[in-house]
Amino acid sequence: MKAQIVNDLVGIVGDEFVSTQPAVLLAYSHSASVGYEGAMPDVVVRPANAEEVAEILRLANRHKIPVTPRSGGTSLQGEVIPRHGGIVIDLLRLKEMTLYEELRSVRVGAGVTFGQLDKFLLGHDLWVPVYPESSLACTVAGNVVVNGAGPGSTKYGSIAEMVLGLEVVLPTGEIIQTGSEANPNAPGPYLRYSFGPDITGLFIGSLGMFGVVTAVSLKTFKRMKYFDYNTYGFDEYEQAERFIIETKHNEINVIFASIYEGQILEFFMDMLGEEYGIPETDWSPYTVSAILGHVREDILQSDARLAREICERLGGSVLNVPELPRGEWDRRLWTFARASYAHGWHWRTLYHHHTPSSWHRVIEKIWEGLDEFGILGHTAGFATGHSSFNFYPHLYFDPADPEEKEKVKKMHSWLAREVFERGAVPFKIAPFWFKDVPEMDEYLRFVKRLKEELDPNNILNPHILRGEE
Amino acid sequence: MFDSDEVIEELLQCRRCGLCREAVYAEEGFNGICPVWRNTSGFETAYMRGKIMVALALLENRLDKTADNVRPLFECTLCGNCTQICPAEFQPNKIIEQVRALLSDAPNDVRDSLAAKVAAEDNPYGETASAKTKWLEELDFDVPERADTIYFVGCTSALRTTDVAKDTAWVLHHAGIEFAVMRNEPCCGSVLLRTGKREEAVKNAERVAERIAATGANRIVVSCAGCYKTLKEDFAEMGVDLPPVLHVSQLLAGEAGEDLTRSAVEESVTVTYHDPCHLGRETGVYEEPRQIVSSLPGVTLVEMETNRAQAMCCGAGGGLRSFDSDLAKRIARDRIREARETGAEMVVTACPFCEHNLSEGARLEGDAIDVVDIVSLVARRLK
Repeated sequence: MKAQIVNDLVGIVGDEFVSTQPAVLLAYSHSASVGYEGAMPDVVVRPANAEEVAEILRLANRHKIPVTPRSGGTSLQGEVIPRHGGIVIDLLRLKEMTLYEELRSVRVGAGVTFGQLDKFLLGHDLWVPVYPESSLACTVAGNVVVNGAGPGSTKYGSIAEMVLGLEVVLPTGEIIQTGSEANPNAPGPYLRYSFGPDITGLFIGSLGMFGVVTAVSLKTFKRMKYFDYNTYGFDEYEQAERFIIETKHNEINVIFASIYEGQILEFFMDMLGEEYGIPETDWSPYTVSAILGHVREDILQSDARLAREICERLGGSVLNVPELPRGEWDRRLWTFARASYAHGWHWRTLYHHHTPSSWHRVIEKIWEGLDEFGILGHTAGFATGHSSFNFYPHLYFDPADPEEKEKVKKMHSWLAREVFERGAVPFKIAPFWFKDVPEMDEYLRFVKRLKEELDPNNILNPHILRGEE
Repeated sequence: MFDSDEVIEELLQCRRCGLCREAVYAEEGFNGICPVWRNTSGFETAYMRGKIMVALALLENRLDKTADNVRPLFECTLCGNCTQICPAEFQPNKIIEQVRALLSDAPNDVRDSLAAKVAAEDNPYGETASAKTKWLEELDFDVPERADTIYFVGCTSALRTTDVAKDTAWVLHHAGIEFAVMRNEPCCGSVLLRTGKREEAVKNAERVAERIAATGANRIVVSCAGCYKTLKEDFAEMGVDLPPVLHVSQLLAGEAGEDLTRSAVEESVTVTYHDPCHLGRETGVYEEPRQIVSSLPGVTLVEMETNRAQAMCCGAGGGLRSFDSDLAKRIARDRIREARETGAEMVVTACPFCEHNLSEGARLEGDAIDVVDIVSLVARRLK
């Protein structure tokens, strides 16, 4: 990169916040996506606000330099791995948090993590009840552009459902505000679907290729005080799947519910059961771990009663092992990171959504792939929002074994195709979902037209629509 | 010496989740993790995830061993807060220490200078070895060179925060504990270990053990958290035997201390306690210092938001105070601000190195808050 461009970047954000040091560039060449190859950018900048981001993008446009926005660097599918020779914009300095208590909303800068937001809201007895599994390092804005989900999503859906508006710097440097805050006279964020089409939604799950999200406005809710933790055992998968659907039909306030196969549960128990204080249990072939929650105790008790009745009516049994769901919920900011990293393997994942009633089909396909490709792995999943189910298959490899890593890469690609054919959908734009999928050609052409219109020089995450990792 | 392949294997335990940067986890007491990240420009190399990537690249020869490239590895206090939050099965701060040892030939003038000073004069401050006992002249009682208990003073107390040395001696004396002080006390070697001069540290440890053995002591008391961790844990790991090691706070939290604190003068003051990393996270001594502080009449102990295993570092450790003293002081200022938020009038700690740096942090902040070592707090109430 020409020295003058680096000097211009220094002019925008200050010398302290621009680096071309080889060690720094190396550190930004990767993210938490351990299964992906890194790529060295030429420069990293750490702007303080949306205006500085806008200036950087205008500069990048003038010189047609690829740009990769990044915040927590926690994404797992190569989302923030930069382009060779490009600019990385590190957004972690954008730390503003403003509560609109009467509007039941909060606005956070792109550098605010879920842990920071949760602490801030805890002081007001509020929360945003969707927690990605990387909450302690993942930023809200980063999670919005991958449309993540996690504990809380069974009731509230993916993070998209929490978003009331976004501040976005377009690739050409204009700063726009979506939602009710688009009206500068508005008292704050209170309505997402304002001024017509859902422009906010365009940027959610976009991996930042349509613009750099610099602030997110979200719904807040009163923190629940009353919880019921339980595990429900079933001999047949149909019963477990139906249990999830029935709790939804009956408006039971399940805030987080996972279906575990017996063997997967045994794997987790061997690994962390003792650490979590989970007693030795004769787990059923299919176990639903569910957390019911409410701000009102009477409703919670009624819901808990009904959940047990449904379980028994379906032929299942209430296992009364609350330690598993309690650990999942009470330590939700850390537990899942622990479970993902305690075992020692590196892994690729293929996050996607299907439906509760397709749970068994996805699981079967994942096992088939693991056998066929000869690798280790597992999957589990949790109910998400109105009627979907989030899967997070982990495909393990030893980082010192390139052959194994390659096998995992191949299975990842195979699995994306297989689950797509069975009706699964990703919750974000991702290169591997578009590769060799002719059924999506029209859709992809439309997305490309949008991209060309918004980003004529294709500087922002330019690789995504080319199907490159 | 450590095996490079084994260290690489350990480094690969990092899955780059990034929790080691700034995790705020209110329920578990974390309010940020890396003090260096928080007090620098905040690039990825400032905190452990980036440091591990740099370490791997250096060990695998993918990155040249230049001063700039190894800098991130030395810009770390090794405070271990990242280890507390790390969900993987390894201890990042300990591995970075091993990486430093493997890169002991990579350019780092500060590290080399410290090692040379320790070898030449038994201290890393560039003072003469004889200067380490000057503080003894200010005592109004004699301290022998041989006794069952040896007070291992440490270089910082002996040369920089001499009140800690004098007050420790005074408190031990008034508690009726017979003790000796070596007139040829070597450096414990903590700074050598932390900065990667392991071979020199092993030789130094053997020298320390020989000189302590010559005093006839069957117990070592220290007032420095760094000396405590080094003598108690690192010596054993290096295969060098020593008599049992106690931090003075452990001694005073026992029977001897109870008699002393009963006779302390009552004075109302609100204090907060700063956990030294080497005493807290590294060796698990959390309660004894608090017990002593709370037992003093009129003293109210209030906790900082981050305390015990989640306490933020003072900024002095891991060789950072020498490597980048401005950064070390900024970290200390951060901790002083946290202390001030409690409403405390005084910060008490149990490590002269922490005391020294926190005092610098208070100066940088323009804050007149009193920063004292725990033995000085006790001594003030008794004198």
